[in-house]
Amino acid sequence: MRFDTVIIGGGLAGLTAGISLQEAGQKVAIVSAGQNAMHFFSGNFEDIGPARERVSALFASAGVRTRSSDGWMLMPMGSFREVALTLDDVAVFPETHVAEKALIVNYTGFHDFYGTFLAEALEKNGTSCRIRFVRIPEMEHLRLSPSEMRSVNIARAMDEHWEKVVSDVRLLHKDEDLIILPQVFGLKDLSVLDRIRTAFPARVAFIGTMPPSVPGIRTQMLLKRRFEVLGGTFLMGDEVTSAAMHEGIVSSVTTRNLDTARLFADHFILATGGYFSKGLVATPTLVNEPLFGLDIDYPEDRNAWYDTDFFADQPYLDFGVKTDGALRAMKDGKPVQNLYAIGSILGNTRKADYGTAAGLAIRTAFAVADTIKGGNV
Amino acid sequence: MKRNEYDVIIVGGGITGAGTARDCAMRGLRVLLIERHDIATGATGRNHGLLHSGARYAVTDQESASECIRENMILRRIASHCVDETDGFFITLPEDDLNYQAKFVESCLAAGINAEIVDPKEALRMEPSMNPDLIGAVKVPDGSVDPFRLCAANMLDAKLHGAQVLLYTEVTGFIKDGDRIQGIRTYNHQTHKSGEYYAPVTVNAAGIWGQHIAELAGVKIGMFPAKGALLIFAHRVNGIVINRCRKPANADILVPGDTVCVIGTTSTKIPFEECDNVQVTPDEVNLLIEEGAKLAPALASTRILRAYAGVRPLVSADNDPSGRNISRGIVCLDHETRDGLKGFVTITGGKLMTYRLMAEMATDLVCQKLAVDKACGTAETPLPGAGGKNFREVAEKIWENPTTVQKAAVGRLGMAAARMQSSDSLSQSLVCECEEVSVGEINSAIERLDVSGLTDLRRRTRVGMGTCQGELCGCRAAGLLAKAHGCADRAREDLKAFMTERWKGMYPIGWGDALREAEYTQWVYKHVLGV
Repeated sequence: MRFDTVIIGGGLAGLTAGISLQEAGQKVAIVSAGQNAMHFFSGNFEDIGPARERVSALFASAGVRTRSSDGWMLMPMGSFREVALTLDDVAVFPETHVAEKALIVNYTGFHDFYGTFLAEALEKNGTSCRIRFVRIPEMEHLRLSPSEMRSVNIARAMDEHWEKVVSDVRLLHKDEDLIILPQVFGLKDLSVLDRIRTAFPARVAFIGTMPPSVPGIRTQMLLKRRFEVLGGTFLMGDEVTSAAMHEGIVSSVTTRNLDTARLFADHFILATGGYFSKGLVATPTLVNEPLFGLDIDYPEDRNAWYDTDFFADQPYLDFGVKTDGALRAMKDGKPVQNLYAIGSILGNTRKADYGTAAGLAIRTAFAVADTIKGGNV
Repeated sequence: MKRNEYDVIIVGGGITGAGTARDCAMRGLRVLLIERHDIATGATGRNHGLLHSGARYAVTDQESASECIRENMILRRIASHCVDETDGFFITLPEDDLNYQAKFVESCLAAGINAEIVDPKEALRMEPSMNPDLIGAVKVPDGSVDPFRLCAANMLDAKLHGAQVLLYTEVTGFIKDGDRIQGIRTYNHQTHKSGEYYAPVTVNAAGIWGQHIAELAGVKIGMFPAKGALLIFAHRVNGIVINRCRKPANADILVPGDTVCVIGTTSTKIPFEECDNVQVTPDEVNLLIEEGAKLAPALASTRILRAYAGVRPLVSADNDPSGRNISRGIVCLDHETRDGLKGFVTITGGKLMTYRLMAEMATDLVCQKLAVDKACGTAETPLPGAGGKNFREVAEKIWENPTTVQKAAVGRLGMAAARMQSSDSLSQSLVCECEEVSVGEINSAIERLDVSGLTDLRRRTRVGMGTCQGELCGCRAAGLLAKAHGCADRAREDLKAFMTERWKGMYPIGWGDALREAEYTQWVYKHVLGV
C-alpha cells in the first residue's frame, strides 16, 4: 500500500497533521493503537500561541467547537487557570468572582466530580454555593456494578436522558445566577450542550471530572471522522511493528494487523506520544524510542531522572526524541531525511519553540505538515 | 488527683506500643498511648509482613527461633484475619552448600519448628515460581501477616478496653521528681497545643526513636539503626514464602501478601539523622532485583510497584558493621535497676513477630511496679475482627450472600466488616478499584479508626496501595474526607502530601510501567485536575 504520508499515532498531534495533509490533497494513513492522551484532555489548549486561529478553523471544519477568549478556566479541584483557547465545553470566566450565587449539581454516588472542592474555592472568591444531588431511574443500572459510576458511562446514559436531569435541576434551581454541572453531556451530540445552556435563566458551566474526559473523547471521534471524510485511512487498534530504512531514509513500515503487507510512503510522521503511550520506553538503564531507535538525550545516572518532589518539574519529562530545525528525527547523530517527530514524543526538548502539552502537539503537527506540503509543491 | 492522670503512659504507636497498650488495658490499667505520627509509621509498616516460623534464626539464635514459632501459632489464633497461612520453603540453590540443610532442619526441630525436607521436584510443583535449578527444599510453617491491620486491631482493642490514644502527639520532655519519672510533656502537631500527662510508669516503645526518648528521660541506650530496603511487586508471583537455605543475607526472602509480593531486605547501618527520612538507592534496588530473581526468576520481568525501607530497632552489642549478627532478641529494660531512674521502662529489639511477647514482658514489669496482680490474657483472647478461617466463611457469617466488595472488606477487617455500611449500592460503590475498597469501608474507617488524612486511611484500608498507586482513588477518597471533615482545603493539601509520599516509593523504581503510571499521574494532577 502506498501513501504520501504515513502517521504513526492517532492522538491530537497525529490527527491534526493528518487532517492538514489530507486537506492539502495528500493521501495519508494513520496507524493508531487506540487509547491516547485525548482521553485525558482537560479541554484547554495550553501554549497554543500563534496557532490559535488556525486550529480553531481546522477543528471547526471537523465540527469541534472551540472558544477563543482570554479568561479563567475553573479546574475540577477548584483552582483557576488562565486560558486563551479551549473546547466549547469548558467554562471560561472573565474573572475569578464567577457569580453571586452558584448551584452545584452532581449525581448521587458519582465520586469523580468534586462539588465540595469547587464550592469551597468559589466561596473564597465571593460566590455563595449550594450543592445538590440528583438521581434518575434511567441511571440506576450503573450502580449494579460498584465501578460503573464513571464519567463516560454516565455520559452514555445522558445522551438518552439528559432532559430528565434538566427538569430535575429546574426543580432545584432557585435564584442562583450560575449552575455548575459535570462534563458528562453531549458525548454523541454536541448540540445538547447549547440546549442545556438555554434551558435555564442562569449561566450553565460544565466543569471537568476525573478522566476519562468526555469532551476529549468526543473531540477525538470528531477529528477521526473528519480525517476519514477527507479520504484518510485510519488503521484503528493497530500498531507499527517494524520499519525499513536505507541510507537515512524510511521506505516502509509493517503493522501487526496488516501482516506481511507494507505501508510505503514518501514521508513518515512519528506521533506515538511519551512514556504512557509507549512512544518512549524507559528501562533501569536507558530511555529509548522503540520503533526506529532514534536519538534521545538523557543522563546516564538514573538518580538524575527524577525530582524527589512529585509536584516539581520532573527531569524525565524533558527527555525526548532529538530533531533538527525542521523536526526531522535524529538517528546516530544524523537526521532521518523523511521521518518527523511531533507531539509529546519530543518531551520538553522543543519547549522554547513550540510550548508543551496541547500546544506542542498542534504546533509541531502544523509545522511538519507545512514542511511536507512545501516540499511537494 | 491531677487531671490527665493514668496508670501507665506508652510512647510509640507501632505494633509494640499498640500491643503493650492492649495488654495493659486488658489487665485493667488506665492507659494513655502517645504517637508522634500515625499508627504503624515506623518499622511496623516497613518490613516484609512475614509471619516468621523462626526457621530463619534456628541455626544462629535458638532463643529467637523458639519465640517466633510460639508467637506464630498464637497469631494464627488471635489474629486470623491478619494472617495468611501460606507456609514457606527454604531452598538450596546450586551455589549454596547443601550440607547446611541437615544442620538447618536439625536446628528447626530443636526449636520446635516443624521443618520437613521436600523433594525439589515436588517443591517446584507446590510452588512453580521457584528457581527450577534448586537442589534442595525444606517446608516450614511461615506465613504472611498484614502489619497495618494487626497494629490497627491491637489499637482498636486497647481502646475498647478503655485506653486513650493520642496520635500526631510528640513527647517533648519528661516531668521528673528527683529520680522518678512522673509524666510527660507533649506537643500536638495538629492542634499545635502543648500538654502534660501523668503516670507512675512510662513505657518507651518508640522503636529506633527509643534512643531519643531515653535521652529525654536522662538515660542512655545504644541503638543500632540498620536500614532494610524492600521492593513490592505488582503481582502475587508466589503463593508460598520463599527463603534461601543459608546463613541470613541480603534479599533472600520473598513473601506473598494480598495481591502483591515483597522481596527484601538489605541491611546497612545509617546515621540517626536519616531515620526519619530513609531513601532507597538505585544500588539497593538493583541488588534486590538481582538476588530476588534467584529465588523466583519471574521477578526479573515483573512490574515493581514501589520501593521502601524501614529501620530495625536493634540494640548494639559489638562492632558488627552490618548489624546482621546483633541478636534480634527482645530487650526489656527496667531503668530503675539499670540506671536508678524510677517509673521508666524500655521495650525494644525483637521483631514484628514477637510484638505480643514483648508487650507481655513490658506489661508484666509495669504491673510489678504498680503492684497489680493480673495475668496476661493476650495469647488467648482474639483481636477484634478475628473469627474464622477464610474470608468467605467470615463473610457468610455476616451476610447471607456476600458481594465481592464485602468479601474484600472482610479480608481486611475480618468480623469488624460487619460494622461498615454495605447494604446499599451507594456504600458499595468503589473508591479504590485496584484494592476493591468501597465508600462504606472508607467512611467506617474515618468514623472508627482515627483517620485524619489520606495516608492514615491507606494504612487502614489499603486505599492507594494497588497498581495505580493512588492516582484515581486518592482524589475520590479526598472527596469523602472533605465531606466527613467539612474542609476541602485541608483535604486538598492532604492529597498533595499523599501523592508526594506515593512518589517517594515510585521514583527509585521509575522505569517501565511505573514511569508510565507516573507520567499519567503527573498529567492528571497538573493539567486535568489542577491540583
